[in-house]
Amino acid sequence: MRKCLPLSVLLILGFSHAVTAAADPTGDPKAGQEKAFFCSGCHGIPGWRNAYPNYREPKLGGQHADYLVAALKAYQSGLRSHTTMHGIAATLSDQDIADLAAYFSAPVKQK
Amino acid sequence: MNQWTSLIAAGALALCAYSAQAAGNPEAGKQKSQVCQSCHGADGNSTNAQFPRLAGQYPDYLVQALSEYKSGARKNAIMAGFAATLSERDMQDIASYFAEQKDGVVTKR
Repeated sequence: MRKCLPLSVLLILGFSHAVTAAADPTGDPKAGQEKAFFCSGCHGIPGWRNAYPNYREPKLGGQHADYLVAALKAYQSGLRSHTTMHGIAATLSDQDIADLAAYFSAPVKQK
Repeated sequence: MNQWTSLIAAGALALCAYSAQAAGNPEAGKQKSQVCQSCHGADGNSTNAQFPRLAGQYPDYLVQALSEYKSGARKNAIMAGFAATLSERDMQDIASYFAEQKDGVVTKR
């Protein structure tokens, strides 16, 4: 039994990690569209510019969901620094982030 | 100088400022972006979702991202290594190549 203890601890840790990974919420593009109202104020305007430094803010339509989730979480944690994006990402739950990513990543008709 | 001449002068100045931003050479960028293409896709449409699509993205945003990776303002172990080797000119060329690729990202409201 004593010899098995480290193994069982490892197993439990392994399982709990699997549960955490599975708990990443699934994004709902419809919910995301409603939550994207705020994003659209900048990202929804063609050619809208970041004030300082001066560059056009990235297009999000058709971007990979996984990348968008990673970007928002990096803004949230401060790993990626941008005052406005940090402020906005800080208000988002994991579900919000998943929904927004699902909405923006959905295929967009190319002109 | 009458009003019209000053207006034309202002317009010409604005045009110069605009074209100065789009200075990248996409042909050169295609060559310089061979390494980028292995993760981001030959035409910037990556198939692995952890690597962002670059096709169709604004070139000035891509230059900004590369500059931040180079300076360390934006942290990513993989990108820091690549960006460190790039000059401002390289960044503009690479950005202009990916920006003009088709079927990439678009503005979505």
